[in-house]
Amino acid sequence: MSTHCFKPLTGQVGNIIDYVMDAPEVKPYHELAYALRLVTEEIVVNINNYAYTDKEKGYLIVSIEKKEDNLIMEFRDGGVPFDPLVKEDPDITLPLEEREIGGLGIFLTKKLMDSLSYNRVSGENVLILVKHITNKKKN
Amino acid sequence: MDNSFNVREEGSHLFVELQGRLDTNNAPLLMEKLSAYKGKGLDTVVFDATKLIYIASSGIRTIIFVKQKLGSNPKIVFFNCSDDVKNVFTMTGLQNYIDFKNK
Repeated sequence: MSTHCFKPLTGQVGNIIDYVMDAPEVKPYHELAYALRLVTEEIVVNINNYAYTDKEKGYLIVSIEKKEDNLIMEFRDGGVPFDPLVKEDPDITLPLEEREIGGLGIFLTKKLMDSLSYNRVSGENVLILVKHITNKKKN
Repeated sequence: MDNSFNVREEGSHLFVELQGRLDTNNAPLLMEKLSAYKGKGLDTVVFDATKLIYIASSGIRTIIFVKQKLGSNPKIVFFNCSDDVKNVFTMTGLQNYIDFKNK
Protein backbone atom coordinates (compact mmCIF):
# COMPACT_ATOMS: atom_id res chain seq x y z
CA MET A 1 0.00 0.00 0.00
CA SER A 2 1.19 3.51 -0.83
CA THR A 3 0.25 6.38 1.40
CA HIS A 4 1.43 9.94 1.63
CA CYS A 5 0.37 13.09 3.45
CA PHE A 6 0.57 16.25 1.38
CA LYS A 7 0.90 19.27 3.64
CA PRO A 8 0.47 22.09 2.93
CA LEU A 9 -1.87 21.29 0.09
CA THR A 10 -1.51 24.54 -1.84
CA GLY A 11 0.29 24.16 -5.15
CA GLN A 12 0.50 20.39 -4.87
CA VAL A 13 -2.14 19.21 -7.35
CA GLY A 14 0.49 18.24 -9.93
CA ASN A 15 2.63 16.47 -7.32
CA ILE A 16 -0.33 14.47 -6.05
CA ILE A 17 -1.30 13.37 -9.57
CA ASP A 18 2.33 12.32 -10.18
CA TYR A 19 2.38 10.43 -6.88
CA VAL A 20 -0.74 8.46 -7.82
CA MET A 21 0.37 7.75 -11.39
CA ASP A 22 3.81 6.58 -10.24
CA ALA A 23 2.51 4.42 -7.38
CA PRO A 24 3.46 0.75 -7.83
CA GLU A 25 -0.23 -0.19 -7.48
CA VAL A 26 -1.20 2.05 -10.42
CA LYS A 27 1.75 2.07 -12.78
CA PRO A 28 1.27 -1.37 -14.36
CA TYR A 29 -2.28 -0.59 -15.52
CA HIS A 30 -1.67 1.50 -18.60
CA GLU A 31 -5.23 1.00 -19.78
CA LEU A 32 -6.49 2.70 -16.62
CA ALA A 33 -4.00 5.58 -16.66
CA TYR A 34 -6.36 8.07 -18.28
CA ALA A 35 -9.25 7.32 -15.93
CA LEU A 36 -7.10 7.32 -12.79
CA ARG A 37 -5.38 10.58 -13.73
CA LEU A 38 -8.73 12.19 -14.44
CA VAL A 39 -10.43 11.13 -11.19
CA THR A 40 -7.37 12.09 -9.14
CA GLU A 41 -7.28 15.53 -10.74
CA GLU A 42 -11.00 16.12 -10.23
CA ILE A 43 -11.00 15.04 -6.58
CA VAL A 44 -7.79 16.82 -5.60
CA VAL A 45 -8.75 20.07 -7.34
CA ASN A 46 -12.08 20.04 -5.51
CA ILE A 47 -10.44 19.51 -2.13
CA ASN A 48 -7.77 22.09 -2.89
CA ASN A 49 -10.37 24.70 -3.87
CA TYR A 50 -13.06 24.14 -1.27
CA ALA A 51 -11.97 22.12 1.76
CA TYR A 52 -9.91 24.61 3.71
CA THR A 53 -10.67 28.15 4.76
CA ASP A 54 -7.13 28.41 6.10
CA LYS A 55 -5.13 27.03 3.17
CA GLU A 56 -1.89 26.98 5.17
CA LYS A 57 -3.27 24.30 7.46
CA GLY A 58 -4.64 22.20 4.64
CA TYR A 59 -3.53 18.62 4.16
CA LEU A 60 -4.55 15.64 2.10
CA ILE A 61 -3.64 12.04 2.78
CA VAL A 62 -3.68 9.87 -0.32
CA SER A 63 -3.62 6.09 0.00
CA ILE A 64 -3.62 3.54 -2.77
CA GLU A 65 -4.11 -0.14 -2.24
CA LYS A 66 -4.56 -3.13 -4.48
CA LYS A 67 -6.89 -5.69 -2.96
CA GLU A 68 -7.60 -8.74 -5.08
CA ASP A 69 -9.14 -7.36 -8.27
CA ASN A 70 -9.73 -3.89 -6.93
CA LEU A 71 -7.69 -0.76 -6.91
CA ILE A 72 -8.73 1.30 -3.90
CA MET A 73 -7.90 4.99 -3.66
CA GLU A 74 -8.57 6.89 -0.47
CA PHE A 75 -8.53 10.68 -0.14
CA ARG A 76 -8.62 11.99 3.42
CA ASP A 77 -8.71 15.68 4.28
CA GLY A 78 -9.30 17.71 7.44
CA GLY A 79 -11.41 20.38 5.79
CA VAL A 80 -15.01 21.43 6.23
CA PRO A 81 -17.48 18.53 6.01
CA PHE A 82 -18.25 17.99 2.36
CA ASP A 83 -19.88 14.99 0.71
CA PRO A 84 -19.31 15.32 -3.03
CA LEU A 85 -21.68 12.44 -3.72
CA VAL A 86 -24.86 14.21 -2.60
CA LYS A 87 -24.68 16.75 -5.39
CA GLU A 88 -27.17 16.03 -8.14
CA ASP A 89 -25.65 14.92 -11.45
CA PRO A 90 -25.62 17.57 -14.16
CA ASP A 91 -28.28 17.07 -16.83
CA ILE A 92 -26.20 16.08 -19.84
CA THR A 93 -29.27 15.79 -22.06
CA LEU A 94 -29.79 19.56 -22.01
CA PRO A 95 -28.68 21.49 -25.08
CA LEU A 96 -25.15 22.78 -24.64
CA GLU A 97 -26.44 26.34 -24.52
CA GLU A 98 -28.37 25.54 -21.34
CA ARG A 99 -25.82 23.44 -19.50
CA GLU A 100 -24.70 24.16 -15.97
CA ILE A 101 -20.97 24.60 -15.91
CA GLY A 102 -20.33 22.94 -12.53
CA GLY A 103 -20.46 19.40 -11.20
CA LEU A 104 -18.80 17.76 -14.19
CA GLY A 105 -15.70 16.62 -12.33
CA ILE A 106 -17.45 14.49 -9.76
CA PHE A 107 -19.86 13.29 -12.44
CA LEU A 108 -16.94 12.02 -14.54
CA THR A 109 -15.43 10.42 -11.45
CA LYS A 110 -18.67 8.51 -10.82
CA LYS A 111 -18.73 7.36 -14.43
CA LEU A 112 -15.13 6.19 -14.49
CA MET A 113 -14.97 4.39 -11.17
CA ASP A 114 -16.87 1.30 -10.10
CA SER A 115 -17.80 2.59 -6.68
CA LEU A 116 -17.46 5.70 -4.56
CA SER A 117 -18.14 6.19 -0.90
CA TYR A 118 -17.95 9.13 1.44
CA ASN A 119 -17.74 9.17 5.22
CA ARG A 120 -17.03 11.83 7.78
CA VAL A 121 -14.65 10.14 10.24
CA SER A 122 -13.07 11.81 13.29
CA GLY A 123 -13.23 15.28 11.79
CA GLU A 124 -12.00 14.20 8.36
CA ASN A 125 -13.63 13.76 4.97
CA VAL A 126 -12.87 10.27 3.72
CA LEU A 127 -13.59 9.59 0.08
CA ILE A 128 -12.92 6.10 -1.23
CA LEU A 129 -12.86 5.27 -4.93
CA VAL A 130 -12.75 1.70 -6.21
CA LYS A 131 -11.85 0.49 -9.68
CA HIS A 132 -12.08 -3.16 -10.73
CA ILE A 133 -8.88 -3.94 -12.53
CA THR A 134 -10.07 -7.02 -14.38
CA ASN A 135 -12.88 -5.03 -15.93
CA LYS A 136 -10.51 -3.16 -18.22
CA LYS A 137 -12.86 -0.93 -20.11
CA LYS A 138 -15.88 0.32 -18.33
CA ASN A 139 -16.62 2.97 -20.89
CA MET B 1 5.22 18.19 -21.45
CA ASP B 2 4.21 21.13 -23.61
CA ASN B 3 0.65 22.02 -22.70
CA SER B 4 0.55 25.27 -24.60
CA PHE B 5 -1.96 26.28 -27.24
CA ASN B 6 -2.18 28.52 -30.22
CA VAL B 7 -5.15 30.67 -31.15
CA ARG B 8 -5.53 32.15 -34.63
CA GLU B 9 -8.43 34.05 -36.18
CA GLU B 10 -9.25 33.74 -39.86
CA GLY B 11 -12.38 35.54 -40.95
CA SER B 12 -15.30 34.08 -39.05
CA HIS B 13 -13.26 31.03 -38.00
CA LEU B 14 -11.13 30.65 -34.92
CA PHE B 15 -8.43 27.98 -34.98
CA VAL B 16 -7.18 26.60 -31.68
CA GLU B 17 -4.27 24.23 -31.66
CA LEU B 18 -4.07 22.15 -28.48
CA GLN B 19 -1.14 20.18 -27.14
CA GLY B 20 -0.46 17.83 -24.28
CA ARG B 21 -3.07 18.19 -21.57
CA LEU B 22 -6.01 20.54 -21.25
CA ASP B 23 -6.59 20.49 -17.50
CA THR B 24 -7.02 22.65 -14.41
CA ASN B 25 -3.59 24.16 -14.97
CA ASN B 26 -4.15 25.68 -18.38
CA ALA B 27 -7.91 25.59 -19.10
CA PRO B 28 -8.51 28.93 -17.30
CA LEU B 29 -5.84 30.55 -19.48
CA LEU B 30 -7.41 29.15 -22.64
CA MET B 31 -10.80 30.42 -21.49
CA GLU B 32 -9.30 33.85 -20.94
CA LYS B 33 -7.74 33.86 -24.40
CA LEU B 34 -11.00 32.79 -25.99
CA SER B 35 -12.88 35.49 -24.08
CA ALA B 36 -11.12 38.02 -26.28
CA TYR B 37 -13.32 36.85 -29.17
CA LYS B 38 -16.58 37.53 -27.38
CA GLY B 39 -19.06 39.36 -29.58
CA LYS B 40 -16.91 39.02 -32.70
CA GLY B 41 -19.56 36.96 -34.42
CA LEU B 42 -17.46 33.83 -34.84
CA ASP B 43 -19.13 31.23 -36.98
CA THR B 44 -16.90 28.24 -36.17
CA VAL B 45 -14.26 27.33 -33.62
CA VAL B 46 -11.91 24.66 -34.91
CA PHE B 47 -9.80 22.77 -32.38
CA ASP B 48 -6.84 20.80 -33.61
CA ALA B 49 -6.47 17.95 -31.10
CA THR B 50 -3.78 16.06 -32.99
CA LYS B 51 -1.31 16.58 -30.14
CA LEU B 52 -3.85 16.60 -27.32
CA ILE B 53 -3.53 13.56 -25.08
CA TYR B 54 -5.82 14.47 -22.19
CA ILE B 55 -8.82 16.59 -21.29
CA ALA B 56 -10.32 17.02 -17.80
CA SER B 57 -13.63 18.57 -16.74
CA SER B 58 -11.99 22.00 -16.76
CA GLY B 59 -11.31 21.49 -20.47
CA ILE B 60 -14.91 20.40 -21.05
CA ARG B 61 -16.06 23.58 -19.32
CA THR B 62 -13.96 25.58 -21.78
CA ILE B 63 -15.85 24.02 -24.69
CA ILE B 64 -19.20 24.75 -23.02
CA PHE B 65 -17.96 28.30 -22.48
CA VAL B 66 -17.27 28.68 -26.21
CA LYS B 67 -20.81 27.61 -26.98
CA GLN B 68 -22.47 29.74 -24.31
CA LYS B 69 -20.42 32.87 -23.91
CA LEU B 70 -18.87 33.91 -27.21
CA GLY B 71 -22.20 35.32 -28.23
CA SER B 72 -22.58 33.75 -31.65
CA ASN B 73 -23.20 30.11 -30.67
CA PRO B 74 -20.37 28.96 -32.95
CA LYS B 75 -20.09 25.53 -34.48
CA ILE B 76 -17.41 23.44 -32.80
CA VAL B 77 -15.10 21.23 -34.81
CA PHE B 78 -12.46 18.88 -33.41
CA PHE B 79 -9.74 17.50 -35.63
CA ASN B 80 -7.97 14.23 -34.85
CA CYS B 81 -9.46 13.62 -31.43
CA SER B 82 -8.02 10.55 -29.66
CA ASP B 83 -10.43 7.90 -28.40
CA ASP B 84 -9.58 8.77 -24.80
CA VAL B 85 -10.44 12.44 -25.27
CA LYS B 86 -13.54 11.63 -27.32
CA ASN B 87 -14.68 9.32 -24.54
CA VAL B 88 -14.71 12.25 -22.09
CA PHE B 89 -16.87 14.25 -24.51
CA THR B 90 -19.24 11.31 -24.79
CA MET B 91 -19.48 10.79 -21.03
CA THR B 92 -20.38 14.45 -20.54
CA GLY B 93 -22.89 14.45 -23.41
CA LEU B 94 -20.99 16.85 -25.66
CA GLN B 95 -20.48 14.47 -28.56
CA ASN B 96 -23.61 15.59 -30.40
CA TYR B 97 -22.51 19.20 -30.36
CA ILE B 98 -19.07 18.59 -31.79
CA ASP B 99 -18.22 17.85 -35.38
CA PHE B 100 -15.39 15.31 -35.17
CA LYS B 101 -13.15 15.21 -38.20
CA ASN B 102 -9.92 13.55 -39.19
CA LYS B 103 -7.37 15.02 -41.51
